[in-house]
Amino acid sequence: MTTLAHVSGVRGAVSLDALSLSHGSVPAVRGVSFLAAPREVLTLLGPSGCGKTTTLRAIAGLETPQHGRIMIDGRAVYDASCRINLPPEQRGLSMVFQSYAIWPHMTVAENVAFGLRARGVGKARLHESVRRCLDLVGLGALADRPATRLSGGQQQRVALARSIAGDPGVILLDEPLSNLDAQLRLAMRTELRALQRRLGLTAIYVTHDQEEALALSDQVAVMREGTIEQIGTPQEIHASPCSRFVAEFMGVRNVIPCQVIPHGGGVLALLPDGTKLQARGPIPTGPVCVCFRPISVQIRTGPDGGRPAVVSAAAYLGDLMQYELQAGDLSICARSLPRDDLREGATVYWSVPPEACFLVSA
Amino acid sequence: MNLPRAESALAATSSGIVALLVLPPLAAVALAGAGAGFAPIREPGVVANTLLFGVAATAASLAVGGSLALALAPGVPGRATLERLTVMPLYLTPLLTAMGWNWLASPKSGLINLILHAVFGPWATINVISPTGVILVSALAMAPLPFLLISDALRGLDPSLIEAARVHGGSRRLVFCRITAPLLLPAALASALLLGVQTIGMFSVPAVLGLPAGFNVATTEIFQLLENYPPRIADATAWGMLLLAISIALTVAQSALLGRRSFVTITGKTSRPAASKPMAGRARALLAMAYIALATVLPLAALLWAAISLFVPADLKLMQFTSQHFSFVLFGYPKTWLAAGNSLLLGMLTASVVCGLGLAVSWVVLHGRGRGRSILDQLSMTPLSVPAMVFALGLLWVYVRVPLPIYGTILVLLIAYATHYLPFGVRTTNAALRQLHPELEEAARVAGASWSRAIGRITLPLVQPTMLAAWILLFVMAMQEVSSSILLYTSRSIVLSVAVFDLWENGNPSDVAALGFVQLAISFVVVTLVLVIRGRRALT
Ligand SMILES: Nc1ncnc2c1ncn2[C@@H]1O[C@H](COP(=O)(O)OP(=O)(O)OP(=O)(O)O)[C@@H](O)[C@H]1O
Ligand SMILES: [Mg+2]
Repeated sequence: MTTLAHVSGVRGAVSLDALSLSHGSVPAVRGVSFLAAPREVLTLLGPSGCGKTTTLRAIAGLETPQHGRIMIDGRAVYDASCRINLPPEQRGLSMVFQSYAIWPHMTVAENVAFGLRARGVGKARLHESVRRCLDLVGLGALADRPATRLSGGQQQRVALARSIAGDPGVILLDEPLSNLDAQLRLAMRTELRALQRRLGLTAIYVTHDQEEALALSDQVAVMREGTIEQIGTPQEIHASPCSRFVAEFMGVRNVIPCQVIPHGGGVLALLPDGTKLQARGPIPTGPVCVCFRPISVQIRTGPDGGRPAVVSAAAYLGDLMQYELQAGDLSICARSLPRDDLREGATVYWSVPPEACFLVSA
Repeated sequence: MNLPRAESALAATSSGIVALLVLPPLAAVALAGAGAGFAPIREPGVVANTLLFGVAATAASLAVGGSLALALAPGVPGRATLERLTVMPLYLTPLLTAMGWNWLASPKSGLINLILHAVFGPWATINVISPTGVILVSALAMAPLPFLLISDALRGLDPSLIEAARVHGGSRRLVFCRITAPLLLPAALASALLLGVQTIGMFSVPAVLGLPAGFNVATTEIFQLLENYPPRIADATAWGMLLLAISIALTVAQSALLGRRSFVTITGKTSRPAASKPMAGRARALLAMAYIALATVLPLAALLWAAISLFVPADLKLMQFTSQHFSFVLFGYPKTWLAAGNSLLLGMLTASVVCGLGLAVSWVVLHGRGRGRSILDQLSMTPLSVPAMVFALGLLWVYVRVPLPIYGTILVLLIAYATHYLPFGVRTTNAALRQLHPELEEAARVAGASWSRAIGRITLPLVQPTMLAAWILLFVMAMQEVSSSILLYTSRSIVLSVAVFDLWENGNPSDVAALGFVQLAISFVVVTLVLVIRGRRALT
């Protein structure tokens, strides 16, 4: 690949080339390729069992793939064709595990120092690095605490401190925030991003939370059944999902199979019940669905231009209300600021602006 | 809140039974031993032997069992089968293992030595009738204990702890020394304690391989003091007190070493262990096979060889085979059927009593609400850290003085067995009950079932498979108990293992081997019958 040559030899670049891995006869990763540039956060996003963890573990050297190539810092650490397979300790990266994997028989400081000791760092520099890393994650006061007496959030920080202690170019994170409560998760997300920027780390980040992926990443790779379904910036993934799977995974609630009819500059989507919706291009090949987000649905009580429907359910979401609209066989999900005039059973008129309607392959 | 009546009755009864089983014999040994003048002082050599044997056999067995547990990692070919075969010595018992090794490597007529002599000449001799032999054979026979404990600890170890160390730059060796080994320390210490108690209390191996070499330890000394006429119970009890004191010291040392450290971590989803490399896997499987050969296959083969040899020859060329030993022990030896009946009855009774009592104790400890539950728990686990022979001495002392009509019946043996195996029953049922969510029982209560109905219809059926497995193992262990039986039996209440030992002392070696086989066969038949009747699922 030409892009590879571009970044080869640069600290922090990670590239996967047609990586495949099976557990026995069960394929877990099937031909995954991507390139994470230095100082970039690349997120592997996907539902449970789609092979995110397996991909990450293959990069770390904890699982052996059957095909493909993994390059870190421009050096092949795994290459099926050249029979290269470096053990984890020689790959020069670090990892935050989903279970944190804090060694319970050590203190906080000993946990952080392990990697440095393993690489033979001298005593003075070791103490200095440990202190600096613990301060970075805000745990300076807990250095001598046994690791078993920590809260979940503190363990998370120890795991983070441990993974940055060796000054790695690349850090792998496997759902690092999934065991934290909602508030702490938000705070840590911000902190994590700040730390990554500050240290100039390349991060491969695994999550099944789309919001987390959008907030943290430079690139998002949406995975499905061991392959990458779509890869792009958070904006691209959010605004133009390429398939029904990605659209639904990115929280697009209205995905309706349809026929397309070219129409002037845009297209007309013909829904199964005969409703026609104006949508923007491009038109994917094969069977398609028309998609729009709940927030794009406009609801009026008068018929000017809208289509009639009955409010079948209304749910309070806090800032927003969510309304389920029923028009014959067609169900539409809409969200808006709370309104008094939309009670359950009321007849309303809905419409979607053409620029908010897009097409994906079914 | 008022405890329901049935519940508190269960708590009171089980606590009472456990206290009655455990406390009087221990008190008797402590008091009588202290009153008797300290006999062991007159035999410092035996004390030294006991300690040497205890330390060396514990260390060797821990090394063997620990290596096996580490070797049989996920991904080793045939792992499940190898694991099952590795614990076979538990069913074989140290007595038969020791006898097997006697026929393998006694200096004059051991099968291995006969072959070595034939090939290399008389200078090539392995002598198992020696202190070293006692230590090594004991280590082989007991290695399943540390193997089971350490395997369990390994299974409970979050593999990502080890993977994290690899990713952060640790080589395999470093990770083993700094992460794996320290994390296994609690299990290793628990094994060491268990082994320490089991070795100093072990009778059969020192009796078979040590006594002929003049290697006398506390248990064989106790046995000889009681074989005397008149039996010197006071002196024997003093030795019992020495064993008790060592056991207590070991328990104290273990808890001091371990401190209050707990390595239990709060974790989320843990990762799956990575399989080891195929090449390394085969070497590991070979290691396990070597152990299985030394601890099970070879001794059993020697036993069979001895049982069908006309006589144990001093030269391979003189070998002749016969079935006369089997017909002797089956039809000619008067004790066989009496002992077999007693053993069967005792095995079934012990297994049933221990399972029932264990279940009651575990239920009270886990779900009960009364005070003193942790005391009950500890009391029921005490027999684990006291040699069986000490309990037997205590019982002997009690029943010689208290004129109860049970002395000389198998009831005394049942009490001794039930006490000795109680911790096993409690631990197994505890684990089974722990896996049951208390809500299952509560749901039945909410649905209108009484407490006893909830237990009977929900809890018992759910723990039944585990209980069956425990019952079988208890039956087999009780069938083969030696250390306390040898002190408590009378001619009416003789059991098979004692009959085997009796023949060993006074009879034809080939008859002993045949009787050993009969003993194994009876266990095997009963276990098979139970499994066939109750369905095979139980042991999976
Ligand atoms: N050791 C293993 N043996 C057999 N199959 C495995 C093993 N590890 C993973 N798999 C299978 O491989 C597939 C991918 O698993 P993986 O753990 O990578 O998923 P994931 O995307 O991380 O899911 P989650 O979000 O639940 O963590 C799954 O179908 C899983 O069942
Ligand atoms: Mg995962």
